[in-house]
Amino acid sequence: MFTRILGIIGKKTILCIGTTLAICVLVFETFNWLFVQPLLGRGLRWKDAIENFLEFGYRSLPIVGLISLLVGIIMGMQSAYTLQQWGATIFIANLVGISALRELAPLMSAILITGRSGSAITAEIGTMKISEEIDALIVMGLSPFKYLVVPKFIGMLFAVPCVTVISMAIMIAGGFIVGVGILGLDFWAYFDQTAKALTSKDLFSGMVKSVFFGLTICWVGIYKGFQVEGSAESVGRMTTSSVVTSIFTIIIVDLIWTSLFYFS
Amino acid sequence: MSGFEENIIEVRNLVMEYNGNHVLDNITFNVKKGEIFVILGRSGCGKSTLLRAMVGLLTPTSGEIYIFGKNILALGHKDQVEFRKKIGMCFQNSALFNSMTVGENVALPIREHTKLADSTIEIMARIKLELVGLGGCYDMYPSQLSGGMKKRAGIARAMALDPEIIFYDEPSSGLDPVVSAGLDQLIRKMQNTFGLTSVVVTHDLDSVKIIADRICVLHNAKILAIGTLEELEKSEDPYIRQFFTRTPDPEETYSSSLILEDKGSM
Repeated sequence: MFTRILGIIGKKTILCIGTTLAICVLVFETFNWLFVQPLLGRGLRWKDAIENFLEFGYRSLPIVGLISLLVGIIMGMQSAYTLQQWGATIFIANLVGISALRELAPLMSAILITGRSGSAITAEIGTMKISEEIDALIVMGLSPFKYLVVPKFIGMLFAVPCVTVISMAIMIAGGFIVGVGILGLDFWAYFDQTAKALTSKDLFSGMVKSVFFGLTICWVGIYKGFQVEGSAESVGRMTTSSVVTSIFTIIIVDLIWTSLFYFS
Repeated sequence: MSGFEENIIEVRNLVMEYNGNHVLDNITFNVKKGEIFVILGRSGCGKSTLLRAMVGLLTPTSGEIYIFGKNILALGHKDQVEFRKKIGMCFQNSALFNSMTVGENVALPIREHTKLADSTIEIMARIKLELVGLGGCYDMYPSQLSGGMKKRAGIARAMALDPEIIFYDEPSSGLDPVVSAGLDQLIRKMQNTFGLTSVVVTHDLDSVKIIADRICVLHNAKILAIGTLEELEKSEDPYIRQFFTRTPDPEETYSSSLILEDKGSM
């Protein structure tokens, strides 16, 4: 019994080390093909990167925009529920503004992009793997990192912060609708209150988070894509796993950065 | 077979293990320049693994593979790219990039490995497609092609950089006999026209009879025999006889014999 438990622990440890190593290789190779190899004249696929940026960022705006607006309205109403008791409804501006910038906009954008694009990255790479397209690239002497990973990486790295900024603005507008439209606050008073409440540190902390969320979505998606083996069923399984792992990791990263900003 | 003298591929004592099982066991053979070398065997005998090791997609447990006189397992990054420019591979399911047109698929290796102008690259890609009989398919997407056409496009892509060796993984799998025969003809044509060395992995006896200069029979991770078709047809080995006469395994012993064989190879 004891040896069996030891065996299971050992097996898990070896698996864990293997995964860590694989992720290190992925991270190393990404930076290698992002910075080192282009300098050696091996080129960067700019067109693919821009196409990926548009796909991950621009084309996710409708859904991210809509959800941000709704979350802004929800946040406005929820905070009004408490603040009304003190007659302090103007502070909705603070509550919505700060939570949008520091927390909700980066998180909502990241989760939506995970569902929309993180899964797509895994599915695409996974499908290419089982249809031997990745092997075909390698046999042609072309690096899958240059062709698949780096363009997605660049696209995602820029897309998530851009989408986040827009989401922040729309979320604040959502609170605005509640404050001005439903509670009848003065337009300019609400505007001034929002401007007073928000500092550049709030924006900065949100942006830092969004950059790291982008890294997470991208690397988890790609890693899970390369994990696909054998059949189409595996693509489905890995895509699910990619979304779950990605969201979980995003929350962990969020917690780390939130506590860093809180204690600093 | 006369005419083929110089060894272009030399595989020495190749061993491949997977989870403690020998997938390939002490494989040694040579492929001569200009011939069509067929690796024949039943499903799961390790022939695809052997092919993937020869193009560098898998790293064997031990052994050496010399292609163009160099050990491909010990190549640096630059040499490896150079080596890969001199070989082409046709995959079982053709492995065309679905997001690109057929023409772009063929043009991709040329575009990436040369500094030619786009118009030149397009002409070259069109010539390669013409060569395999897909002249009119430049702007079509792989999903619009039939299985046989996809394989032909795969050959065109493998031929894009005028390689010296071309590897075919199961060229006739999933194709009807007529299309398959057409593909055999194409493989022959490539050899005759360009003096290409071809390594073909297959289990299709009919196509072996048409294309093979020499055949290597693989069974249970080991080489059973290497020789020309005539030599193998005369062979007394029960397994080879069974293969060439297309006799099924005795039904009752089917599962148990496989298990025993597996244990034997462990």
